[in-house]
Amino acid sequence: MSGKEVYLDSCKTSRLAPEVLNAMMPYLTGKYWYPGSFTSIGTEVAEVIEKAQETVANSLNAKPEEITFTSGGTDANNIAIQGILQANKEKGRHFICSTISHPSVLAVFQGLEKQGFEGTYISANKDGYINLEELKAAIRPDTILAAFTHVNHILGTIQDSKTIRNILDQADHKIYLFMDSCEAYTKIPIDVEELGIDSLSISAHKFNGPKGMGILYVKKRTEIIPTQFGIVRLYKLKPGAINVPGIVGTAKAVEMAFSDFDKQFERYRKLQALLYDEIIKRIPDTVLNGPPIGERSPTHLNVTFRFIEGEAIMMMLDFDNIHVETGSACSSRNLQPNYILMNTGRTHEESHGSVRFTMDRFVTKEDIIKTVDALEKTAKELRRRSPLGKKEQ
Amino acid sequence: MVIKYSELVIKHFKNPHNVGTIENPDASATEGSPACGDQLTVYLKVNPETQLIEDIKFQSYGCASNIATASIITDLALGKTLEQAKGITWKQAADELGGLPPIKMHCSVLAVDALRSAIKNWEHKHLGKEIDDSLNKKNIVKELQKVIYGKIGVDIVSLKLLKYIGVGEKNNVLLEIAVKKDDPFLDDVKHEINERLEKFPDIASVKISLV
Repeated sequence: MSGKEVYLDSCKTSRLAPEVLNAMMPYLTGKYWYPGSFTSIGTEVAEVIEKAQETVANSLNAKPEEITFTSGGTDANNIAIQGILQANKEKGRHFICSTISHPSVLAVFQGLEKQGFEGTYISANKDGYINLEELKAAIRPDTILAAFTHVNHILGTIQDSKTIRNILDQADHKIYLFMDSCEAYTKIPIDVEELGIDSLSISAHKFNGPKGMGILYVKKRTEIIPTQFGIVRLYKLKPGAINVPGIVGTAKAVEMAFSDFDKQFERYRKLQALLYDEIIKRIPDTVLNGPPIGERSPTHLNVTFRFIEGEAIMMMLDFDNIHVETGSACSSRNLQPNYILMNTGRTHEESHGSVRFTMDRFVTKEDIIKTVDALEKTAKELRRRSPLGKKEQ
Repeated sequence: MVIKYSELVIKHFKNPHNVGTIENPDASATEGSPACGDQLTVYLKVNPETQLIEDIKFQSYGCASNIATASIITDLALGKTLEQAKGITWKQAADELGGLPPIKMHCSVLAVDALRSAIKNWEHKHLGKEIDDSLNKKNIVKELQKVIYGKIGVDIVSLKLLKYIGVGEKNNVLLEIAVKKDDPFLDDVKHEINERLEKFPDIASVKISLV
């Protein structure tokens, strides 16, 4: 590998911000205590956790008591989805989600289907927007929960929570709306009140926070029961040991993300436009996957490079110390093309040559230029080796 | 388990040998298809007297191991007689590269398959040898020996995952395979079987049952 690392895969994970590490360090070392009452050390930590909840709550327009720190996005998904469905199973056992949901959410539903719950999977159009007519038609008297991916991790599509909420409200009973906001949080504004979201999940390591930390928002008065059992120290939904350094680090990452949210949002939009414009200008035969640039998540781009394969592109970039992700079957764990690209009407070939670029606050303009330079060189070389597309080139 | 490429795979991927086409090749063959995944084309220049492979080139639409295996099999075949080249196996190609991850072994199969098909194409054009694509159990087994079970990196025939082959009067083929329905590689195995059996012009349908 050569040169400075360029990391364009924040949707998978992101680097810990130095400020976050600094914030965590005291709680990994000298301040190793647990929250408690009355004592100096216990109350100091209790106050820190309270403040962390406030920081997160403010960023979502939620209340601090509606926030639970979990051990990751998957953990938060499980607690919310299982907890809401189990709490309401006397009223109904039906849920709605989509064919392009994140695998960690689909896995929860697949598990629940084995326990007698029943799901309707809404399809999505080529840009990754769920079919709202299908959603209307899917609602049944026994529907308890609808769960969608807020920003699709493959396509960058921002799902319209407000419209989804309005459709759910047309039912003559309460249907909870859960959003997997792991890829959305800190990238787009989220106001849970305005969007009508009852519960959502967040993953800290996708916005320069610590790994193994998640956030669960559950609106007050949501009927939910615990699905994990143990000593309840802070949260009835998440018993067990309290990861104080993780909570402190997560809150610091949240604080950083929202201290300059608008500035970062504009910066991401510019970098995204630069990346896409340069690709289009310099590399022929590309296909944009997902919605147009101004409409999608500002940190996200997915492009298919025709006639060449994504894993080979990813490896070539890796040699230059540039890190991206591909939807190619060759790179998957079961040799299948990415189901989200396939479920939104892409061909196997288009999935095969797809490359995803996702940004965080550390990505610079120089990183983008270096990436496009490497992409141009890679596409040229791999196309020289490819039997496809010769007539068109 | 860590899945990574050997240094030799990386070397051949970075700087593959024998990339390109041959103008007016004596034979060529393409295996795989973009609709299903990787594709590889092999071109041959063969001395008709000695049947030595005097030049060989490839073009690959595929991943790093697809390109590396194509590079190595063309290296192995260059200068060999057609008979010798026919003897190159996918295991040998993988070994020459310092091994391949099990999930990538199918790339080696594709490379060897393209080489053998190009040789068959030469024999057909220059020696008038018929290409036997008749639908019978023997030929079906031959094709299914190219279907790799990605978890282990060995073909489904050697692994005894293929339990039964039936060919009906109307050329409907029934296969029974011992793969569990929740196996993550089931879709890939089915996909590969269908792709392989599509090559039989007379085939009417393929039904795959899990046993």
